[in-house]
Amino acid sequence: MTEHVNTELPAYHEPSSSFAKEIELEPGGSGIMHCIQCGMCTASCMVANMTDRYRPRKLIQKILLGKREEVLTSELPWLCMTCRLCEERCQEDVDPTDIFTAVREIAAREGYIPAVFQNAIDKVLEDGWMLNDSYTDFEEDDRSDLGLDADLGWNTEFVKKIKKRYFKGGIEV
Amino acid sequence: MTIERQSKSVTDSTEHGIKSNEALVVGGGVAGMQAALDIANQGFKVTLLEKSPSIGGRMAMIDKTFPTLDCSACILTPKLSEVSRHPNIDLITYSEIKSVQGETGDFRVRIHKKARYVDESKCSGCGDCVSVCPVELPNEFDQGLGFRKAIYTPFPQATPNVVTVDKKGEPSCRATCPAEVNAQGFVTMMRHGKMKEALEIVRRSIPFPGVLGRVCISFCEAECERGMHDESVSIRNLHRFLADYERAHGAAPVEAKIDKKERVAVVGGGPGGISCAYHLARMGYPVTVFEAREEAGGMLRYAIPEYRLPRDILDEEIQRVVDMGVKIKTNTRVKSIHDLKEKGFRAVFVATGTWQSNKLGIAGEESEGVVHAIDFLERVNKGKEVEIGEKVAVIGGGDAAIDSARTAIRLGAKEVTLIYRRSHVELPAIPSEVDDAKEEGIRIMLLTSPVEILSSKGKITGIRCMRMRLGEPDHSGRRRPVPIPNSEFTMAIDSMIIAIGQSADPHGVQTELDCSEWATVKADPITLETSIPGVFAGGDVVLGPLTVVKAVGHGKDAALSIDRYIRGVDLKEGRIKERHRVQSFEVDKTNIPFDNRAAMPKQAINSRKRGFSEVELGFNDAVAAAEAERCLGCANCCECEQCVAACTREAIDHSMNDSVLDLHVGAIVLATGYRLFDITEYPQFGYGRLPNVIHALEYERLINAAGPTHGHLVRLTDGKAPKSIGFIQCVGARDVQKGVPYCSRVCCMYGIKNAVMAKEHNPDTEVTVYYADIRAFGKGFEEFYEMARTRFGVNFVRGRVAEVNPDKQTDSLSVRFEDTVKGELHEVHHDLVVISPGVQPPEGLADIAVELNMDLSEEGYVTVEDQVIRPVDTSIDGVFVCGCADGPKDIPDSVSAGSAAAMRATIILSKVDE
Repeated sequence: MTEHVNTELPAYHEPSSSFAKEIELEPGGSGIMHCIQCGMCTASCMVANMTDRYRPRKLIQKILLGKREEVLTSELPWLCMTCRLCEERCQEDVDPTDIFTAVREIAAREGYIPAVFQNAIDKVLEDGWMLNDSYTDFEEDDRSDLGLDADLGWNTEFVKKIKKRYFKGGIEV
Repeated sequence: MTIERQSKSVTDSTEHGIKSNEALVVGGGVAGMQAALDIANQGFKVTLLEKSPSIGGRMAMIDKTFPTLDCSACILTPKLSEVSRHPNIDLITYSEIKSVQGETGDFRVRIHKKARYVDESKCSGCGDCVSVCPVELPNEFDQGLGFRKAIYTPFPQATPNVVTVDKKGEPSCRATCPAEVNAQGFVTMMRHGKMKEALEIVRRSIPFPGVLGRVCISFCEAECERGMHDESVSIRNLHRFLADYERAHGAAPVEAKIDKKERVAVVGGGPGGISCAYHLARMGYPVTVFEAREEAGGMLRYAIPEYRLPRDILDEEIQRVVDMGVKIKTNTRVKSIHDLKEKGFRAVFVATGTWQSNKLGIAGEESEGVVHAIDFLERVNKGKEVEIGEKVAVIGGGDAAIDSARTAIRLGAKEVTLIYRRSHVELPAIPSEVDDAKEEGIRIMLLTSPVEILSSKGKITGIRCMRMRLGEPDHSGRRRPVPIPNSEFTMAIDSMIIAIGQSADPHGVQTELDCSEWATVKADPITLETSIPGVFAGGDVVLGPLTVVKAVGHGKDAALSIDRYIRGVDLKEGRIKERHRVQSFEVDKTNIPFDNRAAMPKQAINSRKRGFSEVELGFNDAVAAAEAERCLGCANCCECEQCVAACTREAIDHSMNDSVLDLHVGAIVLATGYRLFDITEYPQFGYGRLPNVIHALEYERLINAAGPTHGHLVRLTDGKAPKSIGFIQCVGARDVQKGVPYCSRVCCMYGIKNAVMAKEHNPDTEVTVYYADIRAFGKGFEEFYEMARTRFGVNFVRGRVAEVNPDKQTDSLSVRFEDTVKGELHEVHHDLVVISPGVQPPEGLADIAVELNMDLSEEGYVTVEDQVIRPVDTSIDGVFVCGCADGPKDIPDSVSAGSAAAMRATIILSKVDE
């Protein structure tokens, strides 16, 4: 449908910012040029309902205006919790969820990852799971009582496999 | 000044290659009307075809036009009357295109004309019929907000000014009744408390509302559409109630109206004979009924026990027939049908019934203590002393078997066992009777058949039976019982009643006619004619032993045949039923709460086993009224015929049928209009779930002085004037995801107009319009938008609404949106939310396109040859388009297109003239 609109109307006006074009080429970012800033996404958004800082329409507006640095260094694109209600309701077939994923991809490539997200990933890559620090004798006892294996050593093995497969082009680190 | 032209259309649909100078305009909206008028004013004949009962289209529904705020009806009504009075316009409403053939200059169009049940040439639109109609239905013209009757004009200025009967066909209850009792009709009258009229509807078909109200097998209830939802309406008990009600309140005296000379004889005073005599007497024929027994009533009197049918009920209903002028000669056995005809009877109806009990054909059947059901019941019903043993076996599973078993219990039998050879599924007796029998302690032994009657010194002592299983279905469609080898067992009994069916008397008077090998008369299934002209036969003597209502139905059919025979009219013509039977899917059962049918109050088990007083006690007024309310009114019109009585011009004819019309035209103009987007596809707005969320056309009807609220803008939930109204724009338009990427063009302006009208109705109302863009693109539109903002104080907010939620505390609707100008997220409360839906291609346009072999656009609109220079030409030569059929248009543009299409069409028509 989107291609259809593009080819039918040769004089179709598009925002000129290079950042918007960059997002458009990123997987998931293709719909951004159709945004008419109607506000349906913000009004539908669960996160926007809870915090005044997060406004998906404004974020997309900033992308369209080419505010590359501001968007990539902001932690706002990382706040989308991917419920996709905005995508369901958007009348222009824009997909803010996927657009923010594309923004995160670029930001991550350029090293702009909010500390809280970076920490979480580091922790997982180190221990294989998030809760290693809170895993104590008490839990071990509880697991034993329930007849479960108290030794969770398989996690390191799992991390190894992940690293082998996804990092450094598949070469073991 | 209209030019005179000679019409060049041919009526013969087989001739081809002859050009016609007439035009067809499809769709009677404002565009179609304009096109028709413009063609007609150039002297060409035009047929204006409209699907609904009236022309006027959407414009007639609209309150005000934009941007001038003129009254829509005031502009349209003169046009409506101009169309209806124009000598060159042939207006065909309530009709649709069935097929189109041919090419430009020579189109053969077949039109399906729905039956209006009203003669358009006689009806004056006075509305006398409307006020007496008992059926209320949602009015489509008022978008279902108001009500209309089943006989109606959609709006006061409807053109043509004639009423229409909304009738889907024949309801299942009536279609299945052998006597064609109009169940929906009398139940509807009962809902309005019109018991007398209701009873009159029953009596149009049967003389026995009280009798059949007790003993009918009620085929109607088995087919009742309510039964597909929860439980069927208790139709039988309702007409019993009507009869009881009349007894309690006193019946009007019956007057004999015998005004004809031709005498008719009826042989047999059973239900069939009495029914035939009754209907003939209603027509004015002098009838004599010959009954061999002491009293009339047949099986009703001599077979059906009193606890089911009290004799005073039967006597009174037969007396009513006698009061109508029917002579009943009892104790008179007719010896010869020929003699009757020689004595001066013009026609004879033979309904002598089946009185001979079938024999089991097993050893010991002649033993003392073995009786046959009909003999047994007849002796009991005549009040004779009947001896019955303590242990009784009844063989058979029909109503006679159940009646015999329950009678035996009442005569003092201790243990009664009913033996039936098939399973409970095939048991032919009325189910409620079987339940009653079980309650009274009768044992029912299924899949068992007697093989031998054991006797000692000529008196029965026991019975040897065999167990059965069910095999393949036999010719009757029921599964055949097959004996299980070595399953014999013996039961000690001292009485046995055999109730395995009856046959006609092989030496009876009916044998003068052509008979089958079972001595039943061979009669035509529709006319009931026999081998002798003027002699008709019906009831059990034709069908074999069946049920009362079939005999009563035969009596009615025979009366019709006899009337036709005497008048010398063809007996068969028009009697084969062709009426459409209302199908299950045609009856809307949504939003109908589940409800059980009314239970029949019954006499306590212990007391009823001691005597023959009536078991079923009948409904009281409240129960009957509640039960009547359960009727779904399947066919809409209930054919109570109150309208027929009210009409002084004899314009209403309930027997009309749909018809087909053939047209020969040179050019076709499509003006099929539009439909609104179905906004239930946006669940977040709650339309259909939240009653105070309405769409724009509903709003138009609410603010219209001729609308359901007489122009009072109120909320549908509490009838209060809303203090705050929100208008949501761009719903079902400019929505790529919903397949409507295009702008509907009219919503912005009609939305603003509606917002202004809200202020006009009450200037204190807070009015907010939620929009994405305001498209005020025409002359005066921008000014109108400006005026709405500044002079009327309508609040415009840029931002599409995400959701509408109910707020129970304040009884309002909370609307969630982002004001994109200020960048603020809001939740605002409104009392009323009006959605402005986009425009969609009309229903049925695709079907017409297939007939014309024409392409439609991706969205479903007609594609025009060239949007810029040939905007009303379709891809088919001689077919033009105007109005919203090729895309959304406002009223002025639709009318311009109508004139343009008319001009393009007349170019073709005038070439034919040259």
